[in-house]
Amino acid sequence: MNIWRISVQNIKSRPLYTFLSILVLSLSIALLLGIQQLKTSFEYQMENNLGDIDLVIGAKGSPLQLILASVLHIDNPTGNISYNEALTIGNSPMIEKAVPISYGDNYKGYRIVGTTESFLSFYEAELDEGDFSNRAMEVILGHNVAQQLELNLGDTIISSHGLIDNTIEVHDDELIVVGILKPTQKVIDRLIITNLESIWDIHNHEDHDHDEIDPDQHEDDVHKDHDDDENHDVHDEYDADDDHNHDVHDERDTGDEHNHEAHDEHDTDDEHNHDEHDTDDDHNHDVHDEHHEDKEITSLLITFRNPMGLLTLPRTINENTNMQAALPKFELDRLYQFTGVGLQTISWIAYIILVISGLTIFLSLYKLIKERAFDLALMRTYGASNTQLIKMVIYEGLVIIGLAFVVGYILTKVGLHFIINYIENSPQQNMLQELPLNNILQIIGLVFAMIILAIAIAIYPIIKMNISTILSNEK
Amino acid sequence: MIKTKQLTYQYQPNEQVFSFPNIDISDQDDLLIVGKSGIGKTTLLHLLAGILKPIDGTITIENTNINDLKSNNLDKFRGHNIGLVFQNNHAITSLSVYDNLKARLFLSKQDIDTSKIDGLLQDLGLIEFKHRKTNALSEGQLQRLGIALAVIHGPKVIFADEPTSSLDDENCRIVIELLKDQANMNNANLVVITHDHRVKPYFEKSITL
Repeated sequence: MNIWRISVQNIKSRPLYTFLSILVLSLSIALLLGIQQLKTSFEYQMENNLGDIDLVIGAKGSPLQLILASVLHIDNPTGNISYNEALTIGNSPMIEKAVPISYGDNYKGYRIVGTTESFLSFYEAELDEGDFSNRAMEVILGHNVAQQLELNLGDTIISSHGLIDNTIEVHDDELIVVGILKPTQKVIDRLIITNLESIWDIHNHEDHDHDEIDPDQHEDDVHKDHDDDENHDVHDEYDADDDHNHDVHDERDTGDEHNHEAHDEHDTDDEHNHDEHDTDDDHNHDVHDEHHEDKEITSLLITFRNPMGLLTLPRTINENTNMQAALPKFELDRLYQFTGVGLQTISWIAYIILVISGLTIFLSLYKLIKERAFDLALMRTYGASNTQLIKMVIYEGLVIIGLAFVVGYILTKVGLHFIINYIENSPQQNMLQELPLNNILQIIGLVFAMIILAIAIAIYPIIKMNISTILSNEK
Repeated sequence: MIKTKQLTYQYQPNEQVFSFPNIDISDQDDLLIVGKSGIGKTTLLHLLAGILKPIDGTITIENTNINDLKSNNLDKFRGHNIGLVFQNNHAITSLSVYDNLKARLFLSKQDIDTSKIDGLLQDLGLIEFKHRKTNALSEGQLQRLGIALAVIHGPKVIFADEPTSSLDDENCRIVIELLKDQANMNNANLVVITHDHRVKPYFEKSITL
C-alpha cells in the first residue's frame, strides 16, 4: 500500500469523471499536436524547399501560383516561357545559377520535371543509386517516388499528359529509370527528374503522332503552310488540362512554322535527326539555336551572386518583357500570412479547449476533494500529513495527464494516418512532416503547467481543511 | 495514560467558551464521558485526539504533551497512538475493507502485517468481506470496520464518539463489548463520549459534562 495505490483506486472508483477528463484533455492535446504538425509541415515546406532560389521567372499570371508550381510543385504553372529568352536572362552577370524547368506530364501522379543537373543542387540531393543522365528519355526518381511506386534502376515508365494521374492521355515514349535519389525530406523526393530534351521530345512526338493520326490536319499543316490556328487546335485538343499553357502557345508561337517545317523535313527524333543530317557544324549550331528558339520551358529558377540582382532584375523583367519575375520568399511569406490566420485561429481554438479541459480537471479534482473531504479528514486522523494528501491528488492529476497524452498522441497519429492516406492519393500534395520532439515536449510542458495550476487550485481546500469541522459534520 | 488540565476551547472570538473538567486516567483504564447535546462532547474528543488545539490548558497522553507537538509530529503521534471511532463509521470509500486496513497502517507509518489484519477481520466477523468496497457493506459491518480501523495499529488510546447512539440495545451491547475487548487486547485506554446512558453500566469511571 502506498499513496500511488490509493490514488489509482480513487481514479478507478469514479470512472465517468476520469473518462470525461481524459477525453476532453486528450482531444485538446490531439488538436494542439495536429495543428502544430500542420504548421511545422507548412513552415518546413516553405523554409526547406526554397533552397537558395532567389527568383523565379515564368509566364505572366499569379506570382504565387508561379512559386507554388515551380518551387513547391503543388499547383499548375502559369504558362510557358521561351527557353531562348530564359537563356538570355540566365547569362546575366548578376546571376550565379539559372536552372530551367519544364513540365506538364506525370507518372501516376508524380510530376516529371525536365531540367538540368543543377536542379539537384537546390535541394542538396544526392544519388542513392545510378547516375544523373543527360540523355533524353532517361529519368532519375525522387526517393518517395521510387519507394511508393516500387521502381528500380532499369524500369521503364510511360508518362501521362497533365499533372494529374490519368490513363486517357498517355504518351507513347518510354522513360527509363537510370538513377534514384537519397531522401532529402524536400519536394524533390516526390519528383521525377529528366532532362529538358525528354520533355520536348515527348511532346514533339505527340505533335507528330497527332499529325499522323489526323491526315486532314497533317495535310492542312503541310499544304497550307502550317496554319497557326489549326496547329493550336490540335495542341488544344491534346492539352485538355493545361489551358494556360496553350494560351502562352497562342501568344508566343511565332516559330511554329519554322519548327514544323524542320520536323516535317527531318526525322521525328530530333537528336537523331541532327546527327544524321547536320554534317556542317555551323549549320548544326544554327539549327540547334533555331530549335531552342522554338522551345519553351515552364520557368527559370535563379540564384543571384549578390542581393543587387534582387533589386534590379525582377523589375526589369516585369516591366520590359512578357514574362514575370516572382520572389519565392516574398510570395510564400504572403501565403503564410493568409494561411497563418487560419492556423492561428485553429490554434486558439485548441488553446481554448485546453483551458476548458484544465477547468474540467480542476473541477473534477475539486469535486473529488469536496466529496471525499471526510475520507481525507479520516486519513489525517490515521496520521497522514497534508503533504501525503496533496501528493495523492497530484498523482491523480498526473494519471489523467499521462493517459490523456497517450490517448491524444494516438488520436493525432490515427488522424494524421488518415490524412496522409488521403494525401498520398495525390502525391503532388504530400507535405506532412513528422512533428519534431521539441514541439511535442513544448505541448507536454504547456499542458503539464496548466494541469499543475489546476491541481494547485484544487488542493487549496486540503491545505485549509478543518478536520474537526469535517468530522463533526459527519452526521 | 491521559491527563488534561484546565482545558478550554473557543471556536470563534465572542462565541461560547468550553471549559472541561480535568481528566486523569492511568494505563488500561476506561472512561465514559457523558453529556447533553451541544455541551462540547465532540469538541473535547477532538481536543484529546489533537484534532483541535485548546486555547488554554494541557493534554498529556502517554507522557507527551500533545499541545507542544508541531503539526507533522502531531499527525505522527495521532497515527501511532490514537484510534478514533465515529458515530457513523466511515472508511476510505475507494478502497476495499482489506485495503482500508492496509492504508491505515501505511498512513501511520507502520509495517503492514497481513496476518494481523486477517486475524482482526476474523475476530470482527469481516474476513469474508475483506475484498468488498466499503460502500457495499451494511451499517453493522461498517461499524465493525470502524472499530477495526481504530485498533489495527495498536493504539494507546481509543476514542469513541457516540458509538452507540443509533443502535438498538443488543447492538449497543455488542459494540461496547467489542470496543472493550479490543482495548484490552491492545492494552489501550478506551474513552467513550456519549449522551447514551445505556452505556453507563459498562464503565467504572465516568465524567458528566
